[in-house]
Amino acid sequence: MATPEDVLARAEALRNSLPSGFRDEVVQSLYAEAERIARRAVKTAADRKYDLDQRIDRLVTAPVSGLLIMLLLLTVVIWTTVSGANVFSEMLATVLFGFGDWARALFVSWGVPWWITGFIWDGVYLCLAWVVSVMFPPMAIFFPAFTLLEDLGYLPRVAFNLDWLFRKAGAHGKQSLTMMMGFGCNAAGVVATRVIDSPREQLIAILTNNFVPCNGRFPTLIMLATIFVAAGFSGVTASFIAAGAVVGVVLIGVAFTFFMSWLLSRTVLRGEASAFTLELPPYRRPNVLRILYTSLIDRTIFVLWRAMLTAAPAGAVIWLLANIPFGNTSLAIAIAGWLDGFGRIFGLDGVILLAYIIAIPANEIVVPTMMMMYTGASMMVEGPGSSEAIRALLVEQHGWSLLTAVNLMLFSLLHNPCGTTILTIYKETRSYKWAAMSVMITLGTAFLVTFITASLARLISHLI
Amino acid sequence: MTTRTPPADPCATCPAYAHLERMGIKMDTFDRVVALAGNPNTGKSTLFNTLTGLKQHTGNWPGKTVTRAEGGYQFNGVRYKLVDLPGTYSLLSTSQDEEVARDFLLFGQPDCTIVVTDATALERNLNLVLQVLEITDKVVVAVNLMDEARRKGIEVDARALSRDLGVPAVPISARNGEGIMSLLSTVADVIEGRIATNPCRVEGTPAFQKAIRELTPLIEHLVPGIPNARWLAIRLLEGDARVQQAIRSGELADIVRRQRSPEEQLSSTMAIVGRQ
Amino acid sequence: MIVWFVLVLGCIIGVVLPRIGLLAFYRTWRATRERELVEDALKYLLNREYQGRHATPESLSGALALPRARSMRLIEKMEAQGLLETRGAELHLTPEGERWALHVVRAHRLWERYLADEARMPLARVHDEAQRREHTLTAAQLDELEAAMGYPRRDPHGDPIPNREGSLSDVAGTPLTAWPLDTPGRIVHLEDEPAIAYEQILAVGLRLGQMVRVLERTPERLVLSDGEHEYRLAPAVAVNVTLAPLTEEEAARNHTIPLSDVPLHQTAEIVALDDALQGFTRRRLLDLGLTPGAVVYPELQNMFADPRAYRVRGTLIALRRDQADRIWVRPHRSN
Repeated sequence: MATPEDVLARAEALRNSLPSGFRDEVVQSLYAEAERIARRAVKTAADRKYDLDQRIDRLVTAPVSGLLIMLLLLTVVIWTTVSGANVFSEMLATVLFGFGDWARALFVSWGVPWWITGFIWDGVYLCLAWVVSVMFPPMAIFFPAFTLLEDLGYLPRVAFNLDWLFRKAGAHGKQSLTMMMGFGCNAAGVVATRVIDSPREQLIAILTNNFVPCNGRFPTLIMLATIFVAAGFSGVTASFIAAGAVVGVVLIGVAFTFFMSWLLSRTVLRGEASAFTLELPPYRRPNVLRILYTSLIDRTIFVLWRAMLTAAPAGAVIWLLANIPFGNTSLAIAIAGWLDGFGRIFGLDGVILLAYIIAIPANEIVVPTMMMMYTGASMMVEGPGSSEAIRALLVEQHGWSLLTAVNLMLFSLLHNPCGTTILTIYKETRSYKWAAMSVMITLGTAFLVTFITASLARLISHLI
Repeated sequence: MTTRTPPADPCATCPAYAHLERMGIKMDTFDRVVALAGNPNTGKSTLFNTLTGLKQHTGNWPGKTVTRAEGGYQFNGVRYKLVDLPGTYSLLSTSQDEEVARDFLLFGQPDCTIVVTDATALERNLNLVLQVLEITDKVVVAVNLMDEARRKGIEVDARALSRDLGVPAVPISARNGEGIMSLLSTVADVIEGRIATNPCRVEGTPAFQKAIRELTPLIEHLVPGIPNARWLAIRLLEGDARVQQAIRSGELADIVRRQRSPEEQLSSTMAIVGRQ
Repeated sequence: MIVWFVLVLGCIIGVVLPRIGLLAFYRTWRATRERELVEDALKYLLNREYQGRHATPESLSGALALPRARSMRLIEKMEAQGLLETRGAELHLTPEGERWALHVVRAHRLWERYLADEARMPLARVHDEAQRREHTLTAAQLDELEAAMGYPRRDPHGDPIPNREGSLSDVAGTPLTAWPLDTPGRIVHLEDEPAIAYEQILAVGLRLGQMVRVLERTPERLVLSDGEHEYRLAPAVAVNVTLAPLTEEEAARNHTIPLSDVPLHQTAEIVALDDALQGFTRRRLLDLGLTPGAVVYPELQNMFADPRAYRVRGTLIALRRDQADRIWVRPHRSN
């Protein structure tokens, strides 16, 4: 009676007796058989090949037209997302905040103690409502648009066009796709790195995905660009300057992605497995219904659900910090005071740092949390209505300068991934090490860069 | 897990009653498990959605970061669970996707496997079909994208294909719903044994053949009744760590035992008796 | 007062805590360092035995760059563990020592193979990185690595990889300095030590599996050609290159060009995948249908002309230039 070990030993002996290329021969004989069968079963009419596909392919991969089409599509997708989301966000906010106010009033009329009402409706619920109204609309627009391009077969062409650049940085061309996905949400971008079949390149894509600002961070960037960078200009010029500033920040993020990919592939990720293959599928008519369904259910709801799970406790913490008295101020203001000196080193301040610590679960709530502390309110607020008023509040009462705004934009771009993304990185890599690494890389970069700009600014003002 | 109950309506097989009901995720009970394999970009997910409707279970394969989708459909009164395998070019490499697909075909023991192929690039797709045929003989080849092939002036002779492969090949166009019913009835026929399959096996070089011929009886001897000893022999020669482990741990013997358990046999006989 | 107490207590716990304390860290570090030393010594002894000479305590301390006293302690320790015996001034490996030494050699060469094929690391750096990693894996993990790479038989320099039982086959071949003039041969081995000679070999552009013939041999230099380029080597360096005669199939590979040199829109037929293409990449390319005999058609290139997309068996597949460089094809006559 043969034991399992006997069989395995026999297999090993037989393997060693075969010529070393026998694996190649197995595949070769499979394909030879496939060829034989296909030749008998398939008849191809002459001259009617892949004409239309080829013409489109030449157009989208040619130097000038290829680049133009790529930029045009990217601009259209992002512009639709940002402008379309604005409208829906406001509608959603009106409904959700309206419901909150109504429920709050109901609680008050029932005589529920103020701290229960506050905790539930001004803390947890408000934070949830905020995250949903800011996050849902852009994702509901961005993901279907992205999936549409995916289904059409266009996205692999983007990877094909850009692979040369990524190869120089030691990465995979498909990383460009996961970066684009990162505009929608970094957590979704991290999941999307599954399309990269080489472990080393996939890890690079995961660790650098956060350098692409997601939907949650765009509003912060746009607000700062409008209020500070474009402040001296008026009308159309101002909006062009603001848009230019946001694009500039995004480009800085892309530059950091390349730099960090290059650095990683030569340091920690040296010696990890690496390979490249890319299929360019034929263009196909997309199935709109399925796109809407998969992008809404698989991507949007998935991301939103994870975000809500992390946002609810954050809302509770924010409310507690703002409402627990400490001396004659609140705990939040006191902590911000302690952090202030540290923040100044990087051209920021204590309030900003605290807002970022609290907002680890979801970046959407950074601005409202900051405004809460600056205005001294006891819950998250939108801040003053007009941009002049916000500017006055920040500059005159809280000592902001152009440096603060620029560094906040940089910090927002480069800082650590949100809680959802960190969790996703852990789930995808199944390693605490890489999850921790993703935080250290980004946070380190953010502090280093803001420290350098702050020091430069101080040096220049000293010289002048 | 797999609960198999005999189909409810005994008269449902008559062609006039052919009836597809998409069950989405309502699959707490099902009679048959069907796996869906195929190359990437062959319209595999379109077929999956056509069969199961939009609702489906998605998650990860256990221990892997590979997306797993499951859905259900009911055809002529029999409930099928459809498992979507990751799209792969081959089953021979060590990538996660290929490992998942390979393991499910071997250890998941589906009642039937549909291999979705692209009519416009049949040669490439047949490579995977031949590899699936090495593992299991309950296979139906769905030649998808027939509409696209016609547009490109490509004709596929499904009969010649069936003859050469030794398993049924059904031309379909998942996007337009063309050929779906005949695909499903073929799947049912293969499962119930109304269509006998005789899969084509690739020979390879003489030295390789000799090695396989020597190893196969050893495996059959070790695990009597194993349905795919030949394929296991090929994998052992290639040094597949998963198969080595399965042989060492006795996992294979478990599969055979499960297959032959009296309960299992009873329910499948009843299923066949009930339909006649 | 209490603060200081807690601080001191904390420090003490931090130092002596089992497994995660500083002391424990130091101990593991020491043990690892000690094991590395033993393994390096074993490898050196094995190497000397293969050359037909036996090591002495002096040569060992020279090879490991250890002070004399330190190497004496090491030898005593290894003797106590039953890994080696001293016979007069010579050091001999015991069977146990040889088994362990072969395990380290196996680890080293498997790592080299992995780093070269799967991590695509430049060949000149592979040896040093493998030197660092060879001490980290257990026998079972090595088996897994070996299986995942598809049981390679030689490392990237052409040295045989010992199998699990530790048997080792020799490289049959002739050093370049003794190879007949004008006879095609295939490079089967590039000695990676000394590193200076190896770097020179790589710098002139020679690689494993390449087919060359010797055009000219003088006491000062050797001139080789692979049909495209000429390579010049000093005889002292050329000794480290080993050649073997061509097989029939390899002879047929003549008159082929790399796929990357085929102009756009001109069909070609694949003749062979280069031996330098190994591991996951090779398997993936074969799985994609890039097998010998397949017809490829370069259909598309991007704005940087890298990667290019090739139509193979009805599908458009993009390949980078460094991959296409290693696929040998015969162009069809343009019509």
